Amino acid sequence: MSDERSVTDQPGISLIERKIPFYLISRHIMRGNKWTLSLVIFLMSVAFINLIFINSLFNGIVLAADQQVIATTSGNITLQTSPGQMFIPDAPEVVKKIESTPGVVAASARTLVPAGLLYKGIQGSFQIMAVDPSQERTTTIISRKMMSGAYLSDSDTDAIVIGRQIAGGKGVEMNATSFKGAHAGDKVLFTMNGQSRLLRIKGIFYTKYFEADRQAFISNRTLEAMQPSYAGEATTVIVKTQKKGDEGPIIARLKKTVPGGQFITWKEASGLMKSVTSSFLTINALLTSVGFIIAAVVIFIIIYVDISNKRRQIGIFRAIGIKSYLVGSTYILQSTIYSMVGVAIGSAIFFGIIIPYFKVHPFKIPLGDVSLYVDYVDYLWRAIVVIVVSILAGMLPAILATRKPILDEIAGR
Amino acid sequence: MAETPEIITVRDLVKTYHLGEVDVPALRGVSLGIRKSDFLVITGRNGSGKSTLLHQLGLLDRPDSGELLLEGEDVTRMQEKKRTSLRLRYLGYIFQEFALAEELTALENVMLPAMMIESVRTCRKRALELLELVGLKGLDKHQPNQLSGGEQQKVAIARSLINDPVVLFADEPTANLDSVAAGEVMNLFTNLNTDHQRTVVMITHEQEETRVGNRLIRLADGVIVDE
Repeated sequence: MSDERSVTDQPGISLIERKIPFYLISRHIMRGNKWTLSLVIFLMSVAFINLIFINSLFNGIVLAADQQVIATTSGNITLQTSPGQMFIPDAPEVVKKIESTPGVVAASARTLVPAGLLYKGIQGSFQIMAVDPSQERTTTIISRKMMSGAYLSDSDTDAIVIGRQIAGGKGVEMNATSFKGAHAGDKVLFTMNGQSRLLRIKGIFYTKYFEADRQAFISNRTLEAMQPSYAGEATTVIVKTQKKGDEGPIIARLKKTVPGGQFITWKEASGLMKSVTSSFLTINALLTSVGFIIAAVVIFIIIYVDISNKRRQIGIFRAIGIKSYLVGSTYILQSTIYSMVGVAIGSAIFFGIIIPYFKVHPFKIPLGDVSLYVDYVDYLWRAIVVIVVSILAGMLPAILATRKPILDEIAGR
Repeated sequence: MAETPEIITVRDLVKTYHLGEVDVPALRGVSLGIRKSDFLVITGRNGSGKSTLLHQLGLLDRPDSGELLLEGEDVTRMQEKKRTSLRLRYLGYIFQEFALAEELTALENVMLPAMMIESVRTCRKRALELLELVGLKGLDKHQPNQLSGGEQQKVAIARSLINDPVVLFADEPTANLDSVAAGEVMNLFTNLNTDHQRTVVMITHEQEETRVGNRLIRLADGVIVDE
């Protein structure tokens, strides 16, 4: 062998030598300390779960808020009154036209009633809407969220349904400004334009969305019985579409069906919720950045400590002629495998345990029940970032270790 | 009979360690030549510079000045990549503390340097032959922690032989062994030198081990004082 060799031979990179990192890593995984390996992978998994949990939680909050706004207050699309107008004239005809537009599932005309309610000496000024109960049943979820009593019927002329935040009672968030414990069957005095009428609380609804639960509904018949001039008029028409996200093209079609109609999307109509969700998105971005930094630091420390403990072995490998890039690649490969397994196990725990758990036991906030929502593109990005950070975290100490003098490595100096 | 050419030539090698503000001269102008089939034993007291000299010869460190020629080629200022390649293909190095990879079996430790050059199957065959040569037949699947100190050192010797090196360097190879294991390891070096014409350079503290070689160099304060 030595006869064929020359000291001046230029060492190249051969394909054969590239098996070394894979060979060393396979042995490390098979025979290394299982507890250390498990701990490292566990920490990687936790770091990854932390990164996707916060994001999914905020996605869930924003999604829940969006869904509640659409399902209870604004529909996917809202038709507003034209500038300078108090009402949308000929509302039943407008609703018919809207419902015949492709992509629209249902529409409901609502009339904001400038009225006050008096219950057991408590005077309240709440948002009271006159609606066509049949239209409302197909457009919003309120009729399906009755916690006591029943929803309005088209023939009701002396009934009102009120939200939980108006009814009040023990444990109700806005009890201080409510009727402090009204029940279905109780009577309230409805006063409008100097006219009063005693209405029966037919039902109390609870959507878990505080803004919706501060509303009360009467039928159009009740309103028209007191104020006939309101017949056929509405202040808004809310429109339910087949799916969220297709509002733009449908508005374009609606503008042809109802010329001059002031249509806005639920996002534009969401008002207060818009700033709430926007704040959540900002908090999410901040926490995500912090999460990335924590994950990166955790991963870096884990890998740095692991490699630091192997400095003597790195020195010996170099001393017996294993090229530095192969030694370095071994530890880069190691951190890649750690992170990939960490991401895989973290994902399995997240999708197999955490998400199902919060589906059954959602967070209860005044916007509604919030479970975790995963944006898969975002999830993929986070997984890639964790793996890239791990590779970089492995690369830095590996490069530093292979650049030190061999004898210093062996002696651990 | 004409003398064989020198495999390794050392000319006026100087190495000084800088410990904080203190300069500690380890080699102060060492010159020597090593020929094929030499069994050179280097001895001296602690701090005499013998380990430093072996590190220089084994291309594990660079001198401050002087020249180190391997088969006539100056390797002192050679690129690290080329020196790594020479350590792999030309030199075998046996450390005092065995220096085996804990997660590899005896066989895998021996195979590792050859895997840089050849297929696993070829490496495996040769590694098994070498384990048999050093008297470890049947222990190929044992990991270092399942072997005695003497057996671990024999695995390290087998590893140093896997790429058929021109010179074997042994850094106090029996320092951590009991007398029986030390005797076995010494016999192994003697056999490698006499039966297989291996060139061996060994440093030792032990007086009786200075007799195994065919050349003896004594170092004191970084210079050769006796040959």
